Formats: sequence, C-alpha cells, structure tokens
Amino acid sequence: MSPAIDALVTVAWALLQAAGMLAVAPLLKTAIKKMKARLQSRQGPPWLQGYYDLAKLLGKEPVRSETASWVFVAGPRVYFAAAVTATTLVPVLVAAAPLERAGGILMLVGVLALGRFALATAALDTGSPFGGMGSSRDMTIAALAEPALMLGLFTSALAAGSLNLGVLVRNLLQQGLSFQPSDLLAFAGLFVIVIAETGRIPVDNPATHLELTMIHEAMVLEYAGPDLALVEWASAVKELLYLTLLIDLFIPAGIALGVAPVALAVALVAWAGKVVLLAAAVTLVESTNAKLRLFRVPELVSISLGLAFLALAIRFL
Amino acid sequence: MTADIVILSAAGMLVSVFLMVGQKALFTTIRLYGAQSLLLGVVAVTIAVSEHRHDLFVTAALTIGLKAILIPWFLMRMIDRIGIHREIEPFLNVPASLLVSLALTVIGYRVSSGFPVGARGVSHHLIGVALSMLLIGLFLMVTRKKAITQILALLTVENAVFLVAVGVTSGMPLVVELGMSFDVMLAVLVLGILVQRIVGRFESMDVSRLSKLKG
Repeated sequence: MSPAIDALVTVAWALLQAAGMLAVAPLLKTAIKKMKARLQSRQGPPWLQGYYDLAKLLGKEPVRSETASWVFVAGPRVYFAAAVTATTLVPVLVAAAPLERAGGILMLVGVLALGRFALATAALDTGSPFGGMGSSRDMTIAALAEPALMLGLFTSALAAGSLNLGVLVRNLLQQGLSFQPSDLLAFAGLFVIVIAETGRIPVDNPATHLELTMIHEAMVLEYAGPDLALVEWASAVKELLYLTLLIDLFIPAGIALGVAPVALAVALVAWAGKVVLLAAAVTLVESTNAKLRLFRVPELVSISLGLAFLALAIRFL
Repeated sequence: MTADIVILSAAGMLVSVFLMVGQKALFTTIRLYGAQSLLLGVVAVTIAVSEHRHDLFVTAALTIGLKAILIPWFLMRMIDRIGIHREIEPFLNVPASLLVSLALTVIGYRVSSGFPVGARGVSHHLIGVALSMLLIGLFLMVTRKKAITQILALLTVENAVFLVAVGVTSGMPLVVELGMSFDVMLAVLVLGILVQRIVGRFESMDVSRLSKLKG
C-alpha cells in the first residue's frame, strides 16, 4: 500500500471512530441517568434526552459576559477538541488506535490535561467567583488524580511491555487472561479516578448547582448555548473514553484483531456490553454513596493514588 | 484458573484493607471486613474444589457463615445500640496512614520473597498479601482510637493468618480450625461486652480516655 493511501485510511478511520464516540456519548449519559432513576423507583428521562438537550443548547445564541476575553471563547472549543482527539488515541473495536503512531499513554494523558487546563483557565477569565472556585477545586483533584491515572496506566504498560495503547492491548490479548494482584489494585485505583474525573457522586454531583459542593458545574456556570453544549458533549465523550480505557486495559477480551465484519460485530457487542456493565457499576456507586465533603475528596483520591502506586510496586517485588 | 481466582481474591482482600484504612464510617468498615471474609471463603472453596479437599468446604462454610455474616451482623447491632457511627480522628491522619500502609505492604511483599516457598508464583502473592494485611492490621490497632475499629483490625490480622494457612500450607486439622473459629467468635463477644462497658462508663468509644482512670 502506498503511503498516501495508508494515510488516507488512517485519517478516515480516525474520523469514523471520533464520530462514533461522539454519537454514542450522550446515550451513555442518559443510560446512567436512567439506571439511577430506576434504582430510585423513578422512570427517568427518555432515551434520546441527551440528544434533545444538545440540540436545544446548540440552537441557542451564545451569551457571554462583557468582561470575557478570547480565552473564555476558546475554553470549550479546546476542551471539546482535546476530548475528540483523545478518542482517536484509544482502541475501541479494533485492537489498535487510529492515531497510535502519534503517541501512546503519555500523549493521551497530555491531551486530556490540555483540555482541562483550557477549561480551568477559561473559567478564571470572567472574574466570577464561582468560576475561580470551580477551577481551583477541579485542579486540586486533578493534581492528585493525574499521577494516579499515570501510575495505573504504567502498571498495565509494564505488563504488556509497551506504552503504546494499540500494542499494549494486542500484547495483553496474546498473553491471555492471567491475573496478578497488581491488576486488581490498578483497576480499583483507576475506577476511583474515573469517578473523580467524570464528576460522579462521591466526588462531585453532576445534578446539582449548590454553591458549596459543585466542582465541575461551578467551572462551567458562566457558559450558555452552544458553548455549554460543547462542554457537556465533551464531558460525555470523556466519560465514555475513560470507560473504554478501563475495558482496554483490564478486560480486553472480545476486541477485534482484524477488520473482518464478523469480528467487528462481535467486538461491537462485547464493547457495548462491557461499557453498560461498567456504567452500571458507576451508577451503583453513585446511588449507594453520599457525596463526600470537599476536604475529604483528596483523601479518597489519595487512596487511589496509593493503590495505583502499590500496583506498580508489586510488579517489581 | 484456580490460581487466577485465588490471586484475585487475595488482591481483593488487600484492597479491602486499604479501603478500611481510608474509611471513617464504622458501618462501611464493618461491611469491608465482611467482604474481606467472603473473599477468604472464596479462596477456601476454590482450593477445596481444585484439590478435592472436602474438609476445606467446612472451613469455607465456617469462614463465610461466621466471619462474613454473623460477626458483621453482631458488630452492626452493637453500633446501633451504642449509637456512635463515625471514627474520630485517629492518632495519624488518613493520608499519613495510607503512606505507612503502602510502606508496610512493600515490606510485606519484600519479606515474602525470602520464604523458600514464597519466592514465586501463587504463594509469593498469597504470603505477600497476608504479611501486608498482618502488618496493616497491627498498625490500625495501634493508631485508631475506637474500640470497634481495633476489634476489626484484630479480625483482619486473623484473616491474614487464615489466608496463609489455607492457601499456602496444606491447611490445619479440622479440630484446630473449629477451635480457632470459636475462639474468634468468643473474642468478638467478649470484646463487644467490653466496648459496651467502656461506652457505659465514658460515654465514648475513645480508648485514649482509658488512661484517665489514674487521676
């Protein structure tokens, strides 16, 4: 195959995967809401509510504060772009990421950090106390969550012998399922991180605008219309991305090794099933726990940091 | 397959101990202990099935019935009756405790590779996990102020010893196991009464107040 066609295929594949993740993400968010409602004996929103919300927000005109500069406008766009870019760095259905030649784990963490930085800076831009409070809180948690995420990812990378996610998943599949205590420790650590990063209940409450407790919501309080839609959509994509990452690292069975239609169909069913399973776990955690006081959150995140560190340490001992 | 389940359960026990260190709500701590005992039961059942050792089924049944159900239920009832639900600030705060626990786990794992049978494979992980649990349990007993948490720490140490006995050695005679189980049950009962007496006299479970008897 000539390099030009190769590049074309890669780009098409990356676009397809990003579009797919963008399309599914609002559904996941609604599914979690729906499961949560079921646990509380409520009906929950209709299945397409996520799309209705986005359509409504995208149809409005953006309202921005007079004191806002270009940083405020750029924030959601960079955040969205970072989330979409990140989806092309992770294997979803095929045991290879479209843009895996661009970088592996470090690139992924870096891209996500870039998005977070953009949003936190934008929240500071208008000078509103809520935005500043939100970004300060978000950064406090991120400062602990990010090293934990890296340590957890490194544990898997060490097992598979590669920092590249595509190669990593392929190696894990070849080795077959073999459990080490460090796998479970890393999984427990990363699961807490996923909850912290996606703003789920013991850490943050996605359904409230109460001043004392909100973290992510405080940061995006100033946004309206299409800007808000971008932020919400990117957050949904990030949630799906983190769940996919957990699947890739710990339960990769079922993922397709080639592009045969049958293998792809099997991979799609397996992936969807595993995402639903993990989402159910997240819902259960969210429904059975009370939100932690803000000052207790770093303790929770430091537990996961400890678990992830331990996972890595046990690999060597 | 057997090795996978055993290792996974052992790792789960280690995770439960870590969550115990990070927890302050007493109910959650007790539930964590219950889950930990359940995992120990799973280890026993797995080994019993794979090695056709029917006496281990009795061990597993005892472990699950007694330690995963009866003791947690008893402790929860006691807490309900006393009406104190939260751990007070321990002598060492949570992040520092976690750091110490991390160090203890590393030590436990390092030491386990010094055993002739613990050099590699399943036993390496089992002995490593058990030693770490033992050390963390002792550490919890020293740093926590509430009598209930100290009881739970003692029970964790007991679980750790049991894990090695079931997983690495060929198991203890049934009589010894029965004796140990009833010992544990009795210890919990006696300690429970002791806690109620402490609460009755000091209106708190804080054992650091016991030193005030001198005055």
